[in-house]
Amino acid sequence: MGTVQIRDVRKSFGTFEVLHGVSIDIEDGEFVALVGPSGCGKSTLLRMIAGLEDITAGEIVIGDRVVNDVAPKDRDIAMVFQNYALYPHKNVRDNMGFALRQRRVSKREITERVEEAARILGLEPLLDRKPRQLSGGQRQRVAMGRAIVRNPNVFLFDEPLSNLDAKLRVQMRSEIKELHQRLKTTTIYVTHDQIEAMTLADRVVVMNGGVIEQVGAPLDLYDRPASLFVAAFIGSPPMNFFEGDFVDPTTFALADGTRLKLPVPDPKGRRHGTIGVRPEHFTLEQSGWPATVSVVEPTGSETQITARLAGRSIRVLIRGRTATRPGEAIHLGVEPELIHFFDAAPVPALAEMEDVA
Amino acid sequence: MTALAVSRPRRSSRGALATRLRIVAGVAVSVIFLFPIYWMILTSFKDQVDIFTTPPKFLFTPTLAAYAEYMQRADIVKRLINTVIVATGAGLLSIVVGTMAGYALARIRLRGAATFGLLILLSRGVPPIALAVPMFLVARKLGVIDKHITLILAYSTFLIPYVMWLMRSFFMALPRELEESAMIDGCSRYGAFFKIIVPISLPGLLSTLIFSMILAWEELLFALVLTSRHASTIPVAIAGIAGDTVNGANWAALTAVGTITVIPVVVFALLVQKWLIKGLAEGATKG
Repeated sequence: MGTVQIRDVRKSFGTFEVLHGVSIDIEDGEFVALVGPSGCGKSTLLRMIAGLEDITAGEIVIGDRVVNDVAPKDRDIAMVFQNYALYPHKNVRDNMGFALRQRRVSKREITERVEEAARILGLEPLLDRKPRQLSGGQRQRVAMGRAIVRNPNVFLFDEPLSNLDAKLRVQMRSEIKELHQRLKTTTIYVTHDQIEAMTLADRVVVMNGGVIEQVGAPLDLYDRPASLFVAAFIGSPPMNFFEGDFVDPTTFALADGTRLKLPVPDPKGRRHGTIGVRPEHFTLEQSGWPATVSVVEPTGSETQITARLAGRSIRVLIRGRTATRPGEAIHLGVEPELIHFFDAAPVPALAEMEDVA
Repeated sequence: MTALAVSRPRRSSRGALATRLRIVAGVAVSVIFLFPIYWMILTSFKDQVDIFTTPPKFLFTPTLAAYAEYMQRADIVKRLINTVIVATGAGLLSIVVGTMAGYALARIRLRGAATFGLLILLSRGVPPIALAVPMFLVARKLGVIDKHITLILAYSTFLIPYVMWLMRSFFMALPRELEESAMIDGCSRYGAFFKIIVPISLPGLLSTLIFSMILAWEELLFALVLTSRHASTIPVAIAGIAGDTVNGANWAALTAVGTITVIPVVVFALLVQKWLIKGLAEGATKG
């Protein structure tokens, strides 16, 4: 049984607490991505599941066993590291068979299982090569092969695609997804790349500063972000935010006095707050929020417009093409269900979020 | 186009000049360092008359007399064997203990580990002469004067810190994930160390072992103080021949024994160079 339960887990290094009580229930066969900016504690949590870091408080249960004091080798997990951690002195075959040999599996079975894994991953011609004779993508595949020959209860991936170039990353991403659909092994996948998390996972856990911000299906996070952080983190290009006062339920006043007409009132009836609209949820209308176009970037399938609204830069993404020119005044509309309301709080720096995306 | 055609040869000729200068400088330095060794080897093949001729002779009838005489002397042969035993023993002991200590310092998070490591390193700062006398007294009390094991343990006191610090930095350059991966794959920490880390570190281990053996091979002070006849080593013999005030210095003998002593060191040093380069390159690939 590949279920994983994380119960109020905490981690301190000395007096410094990096995880402040994290709980997640992962079902058998589920693909869960832990995502967040660097330093959010996602890798630490994964390493605690693997047994590479002690658990300061709380419990981790794999299957029906509390594993807090179980050695990594006895947890029945396999892990793929960011730098692959292939054994440089062993060839591909021995790298993949190492774990089985440690478990005293018969030679014949090792050969069978290594060859089966090599076939799945297209590594057959490379079995006798040393890691240094492989390209980055091939090493990545060997690292995955080493995990799958084990047939473990849980796969752990720690930023496995970060060392690959953009094109290879996209290709390996779909290979990982295909592999999971085929093997249906419970998978916990750490990444700082929200696109990777969204495209791969059944459920995404967004972490920030050692706590879970939100857990949900990828599109849930996109449609209903529970916090400003999740709203800013999920989605690319990132959501536009405006802080101001609700003059009346459907009129929102920005700091400079600009008044925006809201299609719906804030369900929580705040006096002061932040509203958010994704770039792709704006529409160009005859009347609406007034803005001035500053940059138009067509990519063919869509057009990204950077505009100024009440002295701030916003982004608008229009499907297809538009005749809009820089300097032109435009009016933006938003569908009632596509506007998000939050408590007023500093918006996480956009530049950083873009870096991360 | 013309500019290119003109400037190119000028640049390459300047490059060639720099290369030539570098070669000349390299040769000059090599001559300075190698001449004493060359002179030692040359002298070892001269007879007593040729040795003392002025100006020195570069061409002479070579003789193996010094080798024939000294390499057949039981005490010299015995001392060579002693040196091999002590250098190998001290090298092996230090590499085993020092490597494991270095690994612990590099990897295991322990309160005070860094301080402990520094203290061990600092112990290298104590002048050996300050240790020689206390060691002699301890050895005499224990009744282990003039035994191989005594020299092996004495050499380990300075070789272990040396090995420990060399291997510590070597291990720190290895990605931690290698052992973590092995530990997830079914190894204990010891298993990961012996099955993954040691094989990867083999080039570094071998060169460190050889460095240690060279240090033990040429050590004089402890050998002089802690041994007399039975376990005495070759540097003591050389010192004895050089300082023979009764017969006067026998240069032919001295240089012959010196040549024999230096040969293994040179061979080892060449091996180390090859392995060390290989070790560095291997570490860089990371796997």
